[in-house]
Amino acid sequence: MINIDKDLCIGCGICESQCPFSAISMVDGKAKAGDNCTLCGTCIEHCEQGAISMPDLTKAVQADFGSWQGIFVYAEFRKGVLAGVSLELLGIGRKLADKKGVKLSAVLIGSNTGDTDKLLIQHGADVVYKADHPSLKNFCEDSYAAVLGDLVKEHKPEIVLAGASAIGRSFIPAVATKLHAGLTADCTGLEIRESDGALLQTRPAFGGNIMATIVCENHRPQMATVRSKVMKALEPDVHRTGDIILVEPAVSALTSKIEVLESVESEGLKVNIQEADILVSGGRGLESAKGFELIRQLADKLGAEVSASRAVVDAGWIAYPHQVGQTGKTVAPKLYIAVGISGAIQHVAGMQSADIIVAINRDADAPIFDVADFGIVGDLFEVLPKLIEKLDQR
Amino acid sequence: MKIIVCVKQVPDAKDVKLDPKTNTLSREGVESIMNPFDQHALEEAVRIKEAQGGEVTVITMGPPQAEAVLRDAVACGADNAVLISDRAFAGSDTWATSYTLGRAVKKLGEFDLVLCGKQAIDGDTAQVGPGLATRLGIPFVTCVQKIRETDGNTVIVERMMDDGYDVVKASLPLLLTVVKDINEPRVPSLKGKMKAKKANITMLSAADLEAEATCIGLPGSPTQVVNVFPPEPRGNKEIFTGSVDEQVDKLVAKLTPYL
Repeated sequence: MINIDKDLCIGCGICESQCPFSAISMVDGKAKAGDNCTLCGTCIEHCEQGAISMPDLTKAVQADFGSWQGIFVYAEFRKGVLAGVSLELLGIGRKLADKKGVKLSAVLIGSNTGDTDKLLIQHGADVVYKADHPSLKNFCEDSYAAVLGDLVKEHKPEIVLAGASAIGRSFIPAVATKLHAGLTADCTGLEIRESDGALLQTRPAFGGNIMATIVCENHRPQMATVRSKVMKALEPDVHRTGDIILVEPAVSALTSKIEVLESVESEGLKVNIQEADILVSGGRGLESAKGFELIRQLADKLGAEVSASRAVVDAGWIAYPHQVGQTGKTVAPKLYIAVGISGAIQHVAGMQSADIIVAINRDADAPIFDVADFGIVGDLFEVLPKLIEKLDQR
Repeated sequence: MKIIVCVKQVPDAKDVKLDPKTNTLSREGVESIMNPFDQHALEEAVRIKEAQGGEVTVITMGPPQAEAVLRDAVACGADNAVLISDRAFAGSDTWATSYTLGRAVKKLGEFDLVLCGKQAIDGDTAQVGPGLATRLGIPFVTCVQKIRETDGNTVIVERMMDDGYDVVKASLPLLLTVVKDINEPRVPSLKGKMKAKKANITMLSAADLEAEATCIGLPGSPTQVVNVFPPEPRGNKEIFTGSVDEQVDKLVAKLTPYL
């Protein structure tokens, strides 16, 4: 557990109130950490006396630590389409690679990937490793992990990035486990630390109420899944050149123990809500499935996708893939319009990275207004039809 | 069917509130609960057992007080409960956690199915399930919203994707992580609660697992938190005034650059 210097501790109790795990208590006027301390380090940041420190537990440095170089981006390809987040990762990957003076490579896994390899180069990749094989048509956790894992082992990139999508968050942990690599989930910030060139990975924790910066000092590769819409893709440069290297995956990698029998698209979901630029999101305030229709009308008017709070999904007005929040999806669109959503912490956790948040709610005290850029306090059944009408006249 | 369910004790998110003045978490009166996704994993395991027979073993890694979630699990139908607890595990990231759970599952012997929640609501990583499957050398499917069929050899499940779902067939032994759509967890019966009170909890320490010291806790964790800070306060909080008409006009004007 965490070290607390009894001589420096003044018993102010700040650490006790800040500990996310309620692991610190005040005993005889001094802070004391309990068995449920997870060494998260939150208290160290908050202790004004400098009384708290990490225990001295040295970590072994990986034997071939210094020989890892370059950056890999997993290019997510499914049903003939490259995921938008992959291009965004090439954008940030390019920046990191230039800073370190190393190559940026994309790993494309799938079947009938067509000209996707060229697209990846136009968006910043120096090299594309292309594993295009009929057996890789459908996403299978084990095959994809084997193909990417083998390439990482062979080429030893120091950083591996993937989108924090259903696919990325599914098989990337398996790759990291096999490689004994550090992996940080759902990052919203990536930068290179000046002192040693390590990758600083920032992500929200505790429903976005704390930001944590995570580093992997002694192991390579440093792996991260990254939230979509947070990084910016580069403008494509059709004159950009790069190497396309065809990869022949090992037979063992192509024989998956799982088989995709069928792929069913959710009704009303034109694109993944995580990739949408504008989301119109409805909550309990819409009162009924019929009321929720107003959300769809407004979304149609704006060319937006429809999302919802947990209450609406639980009520069955819309399917789970549309749910925003801690138990649903995390989104970061340019514009998020929350209608009849009170803004419980679990919901806010899923949408607070949006560029602009608009809240429409009849309760002026609803917490959604605390995170909103623009708000209308009023009856949504009056406001929404008017808004649709005015957008029409525009 | 022999089923292992991995659960985690987490702070109850509904009690966690933001202090608007300091923009920090106020954790007064926050209770510890079984991670909600894990409740669905447990429920699914108990349903399979009730339909086909078998045994459900629930395991957790955590401080001694995590025993509470194991008793909750027994109250809801788990047969055996295992607490993996040792000060040496403190500071484990997902790599070290999957290592430790992997050692424990191997020690428990034969199994057909491992069920986990999709992610824990405190860390939100969703990395331990796939990591554990990799440790065990078995296939895995994440974000399962429905188990359509199970026999002794294979299962057919619906795996949630970003645009809908895939129907996936896999052979046992297998690890699945589940989303909340999969079922509605039961409320424990009085009889279940009585059973939970008396339940025997198996304790496993780092020594019991013969865990390598370099693979557990903070020393065994490749990642490390180096900085924790409050998020940038957001929202310019411009609340429009005037008639509904005027308010909507103002909103449309503000939105126009983004459309």
